[in-house]
Amino acid sequence: MRALRRLTLDLRLPVALMAASVAALSAWFARADVGKLTGTTWLHLGLFFLAIALGETARLTVLTSRETAPMSTAAALGLSLSALPMPAGTSIGPAVVIVTICAGMLVGTTVLRLGGAAVGWGDTAARVVGAAVAPVLYRYVPFQGHTLLAWQIRWDEHRWIVGIVMVLVGAVTMLAALSLEAAVRAGRDHAPLLPAVADEVRATAWLATALVTSGALIALAEFAVGIAALPLFLFPLILTYFAVRRFATIRTTYRQTIGALSSLTERAGYTGPDHAERVTRTSVAVGRDLGMGQRDLTDLEYAALLHDLGQVALRDPIPHGATVMAAPADQQRIAHDGAEIVRSTGVLDKVATILEAQTTPYRQVREFGQDLPMASRIIKVANAYDDLSGPDGENEARAMERIHLGLGYEYDPEVVDALTRVLQRRRRATPTSPT
Amino acid sequence: VNAQARRREGGSVRYTSIATILTVLAVDATGFALVGGSWLWAGPPRDWFALGVLCVLGVTSWMLRETDVGARVQLSFTSIIMLAAAVIVGPVGAGIVGAVSTVIHLGNEKITVRLFNVGMFTCIATLGALVYTWTGGVAHAQGVTGAADLLVRVGVPLLFADLAQCLTNAVALALILRVAGGVPMRMQTWKLLSTTGPAYVGYSVIGFLFVVLWIPAHVGWFSAVLVLAPLFVARWAFGQYGDELRAHDRTLRALVTAVETKDPHNAGHSERVAQLSEWLAEALGLGHKEIQEIRTAGMLHDIGKVGVPTRLLRPRRELTDEELVVIADHALGGVDLVRGIDFLAGSVDGIAHHHERFDGLGYPSALSGADIPLVARIVAVADVFDALTTARSYRPACHAEEAMEQVRQRGGTQFDPQIVEALNRVLVRHEWAPTDRSAELLASAGVALDHDEPEVSDLFAHRPDLRGGLRLTLPHPVQPVGGRP
Repeated sequence: MRALRRLTLDLRLPVALMAASVAALSAWFARADVGKLTGTTWLHLGLFFLAIALGETARLTVLTSRETAPMSTAAALGLSLSALPMPAGTSIGPAVVIVTICAGMLVGTTVLRLGGAAVGWGDTAARVVGAAVAPVLYRYVPFQGHTLLAWQIRWDEHRWIVGIVMVLVGAVTMLAALSLEAAVRAGRDHAPLLPAVADEVRATAWLATALVTSGALIALAEFAVGIAALPLFLFPLILTYFAVRRFATIRTTYRQTIGALSSLTERAGYTGPDHAERVTRTSVAVGRDLGMGQRDLTDLEYAALLHDLGQVALRDPIPHGATVMAAPADQQRIAHDGAEIVRSTGVLDKVATILEAQTTPYRQVREFGQDLPMASRIIKVANAYDDLSGPDGENEARAMERIHLGLGYEYDPEVVDALTRVLQRRRRATPTSPT
Repeated sequence: VNAQARRREGGSVRYTSIATILTVLAVDATGFALVGGSWLWAGPPRDWFALGVLCVLGVTSWMLRETDVGARVQLSFTSIIMLAAAVIVGPVGAGIVGAVSTVIHLGNEKITVRLFNVGMFTCIATLGALVYTWTGGVAHAQGVTGAADLLVRVGVPLLFADLAQCLTNAVALALILRVAGGVPMRMQTWKLLSTTGPAYVGYSVIGFLFVVLWIPAHVGWFSAVLVLAPLFVARWAFGQYGDELRAHDRTLRALVTAVETKDPHNAGHSERVAQLSEWLAEALGLGHKEIQEIRTAGMLHDIGKVGVPTRLLRPRRELTDEELVVIADHALGGVDLVRGIDFLAGSVDGIAHHHERFDGLGYPSALSGADIPLVARIVAVADVFDALTTARSYRPACHAEEAMEQVRQRGGTQFDPQIVEALNRVLVRHEWAPTDRSAELLASAGVALDHDEPEVSDLFAHRPDLRGGLRLTLPHPVQPVGGRP
C-alpha cells in the first residue's frame, strides 16, 4: 500500500499517444457519418466547435499550477450529451462529436500558443482524452440494448431522469479528465501519482461540479430552444469563470506580497541574495516529491519564503545570514520572532506553526514522539543545504556530507532522501557544469 | 436585497420607534393586500408541488445569502427564485414564495426586521409577477415553443418583472431607512439602484434560463439543481476571494509591523499616516479605488527603512551628512521592495515621492508643483503632520492646532496648499490626538532629529550637495553601511 502511494510514473508520453489515437480513430470512423449530416447539423457542430475553441483560449489558473479551460470543457460536454437535429430515426455517433471536440481544442490551443502564451500540449492532450469519454459512454456503449442517447428519447415524459443520467455521465467524464491531467502534471513535477490524482479531484471538485451541470444544461435546453441553448446556458458558467478568476488574481497578489515580505531580510542585508527563493524552490520540489497536497504545498511555500523573517528584529546581522552557523538558542529565537510576526496577521497560523518548529531537531520526533510538521522538517533540510552549499551550489557534495552526518539526529532521513532525488534530477536537467 | 442585511448589521438602523413599527406593519399589510388581490384576480397558484419546491429553494437561498465580500459584490439567489415563481406558479404563488423564504430563518433575528423582510419580499415577488402578466408574459409559458417565441413572450416580460422587483426593493429599503434613520429617501433610492442594478440584470437572465429549463425543456424541479449549481460555485469563489483579500490586507500590515520592529519608537506611525491619508483623499473627493491606493501608500511609505541600518534609526549622536543620505534613500528603497506586487502599482508613486517638496527642493527626484503625483503630495502632508503630533526625545508632541499652524506656514513651499486646505477640513471633521510615548521608548529613540521633521526637509532643501548624493534611479538592493560588529 505504501509502495503504491509512493509510485511515480511519467504518463506524459502515453497520454499524448492516447490523444493522438483518439483523434485518428474518430476521424477514421467519422468518415462514414459525414454523408448523413444535414445543413442544420453542420451549423450546430460549427457553433459548438467555435465555443470550444473560444473557451480553450479563456484559461483559468486554479491554485498556482492547475490550468483549466472551463467554457471549453462545458461546451464539449454539452455537445457530447445533446441529441443534435437529425432526420427521424438517425442519430450522430460518437466519432463526429469527438472530431469536433478535438478540432476545437486543438485550434484554441494553437491560437493561444501563437499569441505567445506558455501553454503545454500535455494538458490539452489530457483534456482531449477525457472529453472523449462522454460521447463514447452516451452515444456508443449500449445499456440494455440501447445507447443512452436512445433512452433519452424514450424518457421524454420524465426528463429529470435524463438530467440525472447526464450529470452522472458528466461526473465520470470529469473524473477521467482530472485524473489524466493530474497524471500529466505529476509526471512533469516528479510527484507520486495517486496522491496527485486525489489532490487534483479534491481541489477542483467545485469547479468540476459547475462544469458538469453546465454541460447537462446545454444538452437539456437544446431540446427546447435549439442552438440558442449554447450561449444562453454558458452564461451562469461565465459568471463562475469571472468569480474564480478574481480569486486566482488575488492569490497571485498574495504570493507577491509574501515574496516582498520574504525579501525584507535580504534588503536589510541580513541574508544573501535570493537565499529565500532558493530555499523555497528546493522545499517545494522536496514537498512534491513526497506527495504533499496543494494546500500543504502552499503553506510550505509561504513558510519557506518567510523562514528567515525573524532576523529583521536582530540588531546586527549574522555572518552571511547563514542560520545553520548560529547557536541553537539564537536559531530558535529567530524562528520564534519570525513566527510572531507571521502570527500577527491572524490569517497565517499554519505557516507560523511551521516557522516555529523549523529549527527543532528530528530526534525530538524519534525520542519524545513530538509532532513535528513535515513542512518544518523540509525547511530545516533545505535551509541547511542552501547555507552549506553556497549560492551557486558549488559545495554541493560537502553540504550533503554534512547533512548526512546529522541524519536521524538533526534531519529527517525521509526528507534527505527526497532532497537527494531532487538534486539528482537537477543535475540531469543541467548536464555539464563548467569545471 | 442584501443591502438590507448589511445595514442591519452595521447597527445604523434602530428599529425602535413607533414610526418604524408602523411602517413595517404598513409594508406587511401591502404585501398581504397584493397577494389577496391577486388571488381574487388570477385565482390560486396553479401547481402546488412546484410551489413547494420553489419555497424550499427560496428558504435555502435566503439562509445562504450572507456574501458581503467587502468589494461590494453580493449574490442573492432569492430574486432568481422569485422571478421563476412568477412564471411557474403565478402572482399568488410568487407572493407565497417571497413570504415563506423570509419567514423561516435559523438564528435570532429581531422580530421587526423579520416582519419587514416578509412584507417587503411578499411585495417584491407579487408585484414582479403582476408586472410579468401585464407586460404580456404567458402564464406557465404554456404553448410557447422555439427560442424567439420564448424570448418575446417570456424573456422580455421577465425583464420588466425584474426591473419592478429591483425598484420595489430599493424604494422599500429607502423608506424604512428614511423612517428609522433619517436618511434622505431619494438619495438612498438612487444609491441602492446603482449598486444593485447590474446584479438584477444578471438575475433576470438566470431566472429566464430557469423557466426555460423547467417548462419548455420538461426538466421540472431538477432544473433547480442544474441552474443553481454553477451559481453556488460562483458564490463560493466570491467568498474565497473575500477571505483571501482580507488575508492579503493583514499580510501587508505584517510587512509594516516587521519593518517597525527596527525602530519600536515609531510603531503605529504608518497606520496613522494611512488613516490621515485616507481622510485627506476623501476630503479631496477622490474615488473609491484611489482612496484605497492612497491609504496603502500611506501605510507603506516608510517601508524602505528596512534597508537602513538599525543604529542610524536609533542614533546616539547627531547624524553625519553621509548618514542622512543613507536614511533619505529609504524612499526609493521602499519602491524596490514593493515593485513586484501588481496590486500596489497605484501606490508606488506615493512611496517614491513622499519627500518631494512643492517648491522642487525635495528628494529623490526634485519634482515640483503638479509634477509630484497627487498620492505623494497627500502622503507628504499626512507624514509630517503625524511626525509633529508625536512626542520626541528632544520635544513634546505638538497639539493638532499647533501642528496645523506649522503645516499651513509651509503651504506653497514644502506642501501643496490645496492639500493643506484639505487637512484643515479633515481636522474639523475628525478628532486627532497627539501620540505620547513612554520615557523608555523615547530614550531608545536616540537624540538626532527624526527624518520626518520639517527642519530636516529644509536642511535638504538648502543643501543641493546632499540631494546630489542620492541615487536617482532604482538600481539594486540597498547595501547597509557598516553594521557588522
